[in-house]
Amino acid sequence: MATSLPPVAIPGQRLGSIVAYSAGPGTHVQQSNIYASIAGPVVVDPAQSKTQTKATLRVSRILSGTPQISPASSAPIKQKPRYNTLPAVDSIVLARVTRVQKRQATVSILVVLDETSATTSDPSKLASDNDNVASILTTAANPENHSSTDELRFQALIRKEDVRAVEKDRVVMDEMFRVGDIVRGSVLSLGDQSFYYLTTARNDLGVVMARSEAGNMMFPISWKEMRDPVTGAGEQRKVARPY
Amino acid sequence: MMADRRRINGPPGGTRPAVFASNLQSGTSATDRAQRQRQPSELRKIFLKTGLIPTASGSSYLEFEPSASLAAARANPKSLIPPSSALKLACTVHGPKPLPRSAAFSPNLVLTTHIKYAPFAARQRKGHIRDASERDLGVHLETALRGAIIAERWPKSGLDITITILEAEDDRWWGSAPDSHDASWGMMNVLAGCITAASAAIADAHIDCLDLVAGGVAALVSDDSASTSTVAPKLMLDTDPAEHRSILSACVVAYMPARDEITELWLKGDSSKASLEDGDDRTGHEALIDGAVDAARGAHAVLAEAVRESLLKTVGQA
Amino acid sequence: MSNQRQASSASQVPHLSPAELSYLYSSLSLPKTPIRPDGRSPTQFRPLTAETNILPGTNGSARIGFADGTQAIVGVKAEVEKTVLANETLARNDGGAGLDRGEQEGSAAVGGHGSWVQMSIEIPGFRDDDALPVFLSEMMRESLVGAVGTREASDMAGGLKERLVINKRWHWRLYIDVLLLSQPLAYPLPLLSLTTHLALLSTKLPKRKSQGEEDPFFDDDWAVAEYLYPRPSLSSGKTNSTGSSFVRPPVTLLVISVGENIIFDPNREEIAVADAVLAISITRDSEAGTLKLLSIRTVDPPSRLTQPGVPNSENVSMLGAVAPTEDVAVLNPATGEEEVPGVWRPRRGGVKRSVIAEMVKTALKKGGVGEEVLEGLEGVEVS
Repeated sequence: MATSLPPVAIPGQRLGSIVAYSAGPGTHVQQSNIYASIAGPVVVDPAQSKTQTKATLRVSRILSGTPQISPASSAPIKQKPRYNTLPAVDSIVLARVTRVQKRQATVSILVVLDETSATTSDPSKLASDNDNVASILTTAANPENHSSTDELRFQALIRKEDVRAVEKDRVVMDEMFRVGDIVRGSVLSLGDQSFYYLTTARNDLGVVMARSEAGNMMFPISWKEMRDPVTGAGEQRKVARPY
Repeated sequence: MMADRRRINGPPGGTRPAVFASNLQSGTSATDRAQRQRQPSELRKIFLKTGLIPTASGSSYLEFEPSASLAAARANPKSLIPPSSALKLACTVHGPKPLPRSAAFSPNLVLTTHIKYAPFAARQRKGHIRDASERDLGVHLETALRGAIIAERWPKSGLDITITILEAEDDRWWGSAPDSHDASWGMMNVLAGCITAASAAIADAHIDCLDLVAGGVAALVSDDSASTSTVAPKLMLDTDPAEHRSILSACVVAYMPARDEITELWLKGDSSKASLEDGDDRTGHEALIDGAVDAARGAHAVLAEAVRESLLKTVGQA
Repeated sequence: MSNQRQASSASQVPHLSPAELSYLYSSLSLPKTPIRPDGRSPTQFRPLTAETNILPGTNGSARIGFADGTQAIVGVKAEVEKTVLANETLARNDGGAGLDRGEQEGSAAVGGHGSWVQMSIEIPGFRDDDALPVFLSEMMRESLVGAVGTREASDMAGGLKERLVINKRWHWRLYIDVLLLSQPLAYPLPLLSLTTHLALLSTKLPKRKSQGEEDPFFDDDWAVAEYLYPRPSLSSGKTNSTGSSFVRPPVTLLVISVGENIIFDPNREEIAVADAVLAISITRDSEAGTLKLLSIRTVDPPSRLTQPGVPNSENVSMLGAVAPTEDVAVLNPATGEEEVPGVWRPRRGGVKRSVIAEMVKTALKKGGVGEEVLEGLEGVEVS
């Protein structure tokens, strides 16, 4: 069966029958056959012994030469298959703060860290949209290149009650985020017509990169404070736990 | 005087290059109508390449092979006026990106299409503002593509498809009176090219679609009217309007071979008098649609090859 | 304006829930016997009221109102205009390269030009350069000026544009202005097309008193003005005595397919679940007396943009309440998609060639929908 599978597929190419496989991301089903819906390498994920009986056929968006061995065998899969590179519920995203108001902070989403790439140690194997996270972050954290590209990014809100898990009623937004900070957040919902909703109410979520008033990159010293290495001044933030 | 006196202005109106009668008469072949050198079911070659524009999420460039007479005229120009033109167009895909703030929530991918002729694309200069025919083409293209993409996989996001036509097909031979057959037949070839190019660009942008959708054109033409007018019109695929005296009816389809389905059909003209082979009991419009589908199958072969080629190149690099 | 974005598509997104859509789809796709929400048969049109010659300032006008309250008014105005021969043609004739060809093209120039007919459509809530009005007017104009046998056209049998020729140097220019009086509740094409048809049918041009190539001048008496589309009684019935085979303006029909059924004149709810939408322009063939096809255009079905329903097996709030075997996807024979019965999925993909052929056949066949519509329109009192 596996011998008949092509190494790469283009949209509309027939891959196999739904009798033998179940359809994964990058494919669709038509007349009981699985067809590719994007161009990319064809990947077969072995069946999960408990829930599935058939191997899952998918077309990868990741165009690396080595075939992706899905981490399915090691990690227990509970999330839904991802059909796109958009932020989805429970996605971990990196976002830049564009506006801080009394009840909420507006951020624009820079990168979606999806599950496969988060577990991959080599950052060069990320999907094309997400390649070079480091360079995206450094350009985004630079106060000079703001505003122009924000229109092209997905906007999100962090509401006051979603900032942290404890003492929710004592949150002062100005002491949590400042404009220009890079925040790691988790998507709560797809939200309304224009905004996603993010939460940072977990220890590993919050500000990951920030500049001080003097313009220097700061380092975290506690879960709610960061310090400028040059001036020595401390500033308050909702800090994400460093790995 | 409203004119700008700080620079040397061009003449206020348009000018034409001087064409001398001697020039016209010496090269009679150059002023004759281009003749179709291809078989009725033979298509022009298509050049298609994806991923040429690095800032877009997907892009493609498409070019039709110049007709034999145009190639000859380019190699050995006898007249200032080329006998026909060949299609050249570039397509970019931007997105998926957030919808504008004013837009309502959409559970599906929202597609917007823009088709613009470059001002120099046709024999008659086009303005920079899109006119009715360009908007009309945009709607046709949108219909063709929306049937092919799997919109529900990209909620809350938009996809912009922009096509710039660098060289357009003529609607008729330049020497014919503009009203000899005045319907814009060239637009149909342009649309077929746009569909094929946009499909390649969407595949390049990794947007889910059911199949690569290809455009094809077929027409009923009645040539050699000099001898008789009773000759019944013949079915030709991938017609270049400059090569025919009279096109009675034409049809463009956007076709997905894997599903044998048409996502866009635009047929116009009188197709009731088609002369088909004996024993062929299809009606004129059915034959026309089948012809256009055959032409689209040909374009799909090129399209699939171009997409596969760029995929293998990227996979090889990584 | 909230529908600005939707205006870019040729169709409007309906505000129906997935459950309603699914119910509509399953009742419309019942094999052979679709049940329409308003109880019509698949080929039946909505009832309408029509009147002609309502605007004294026009050469012809008409008003049609549907029972749901949408109304359209069409005014046709004609102007005499000088025919400009293309520079290329003149230059070629002067150059003398191929005299015989020049002659032919000279005669072709008398054939009329499509740009002599101008059409504009105004729909409330849309800018006049929005996609929908542009698409609609191009669609209706192209069938109006459509190449109706330029060559074999004898006296007046040709298409509209041949009739606009006065002589070699003068022609009529026709302005067709379409006004939709209310926000469109359904896709407005049938309404606009029928109204335009009636307005053109009632259009009169003043009687010409000049002869041949003279500068034209006309009879002041409106009573002797001639119809743009001649009446059976006026043209003395020398060739066509049947009456039904006279040249008529084309009419554009909106046809949808749902499952295996073909439905004419869909209302807003029906078009929202259509698998495919086609606009088919037909007219009478002046020679054969049958109907013939002028143009087909696909219209983007709004069903592609609808909200999908969620089957119980995937619904988080129903978790554990249903056995997973309860809703099993089955194959929809018309579309080839796997669907859970009763759960709406936005349509995707295109339309099969056999379905298109069937739609056209139903519209064109003798005693079919097309003839019925044309006869109905001829029955309207054109005073």
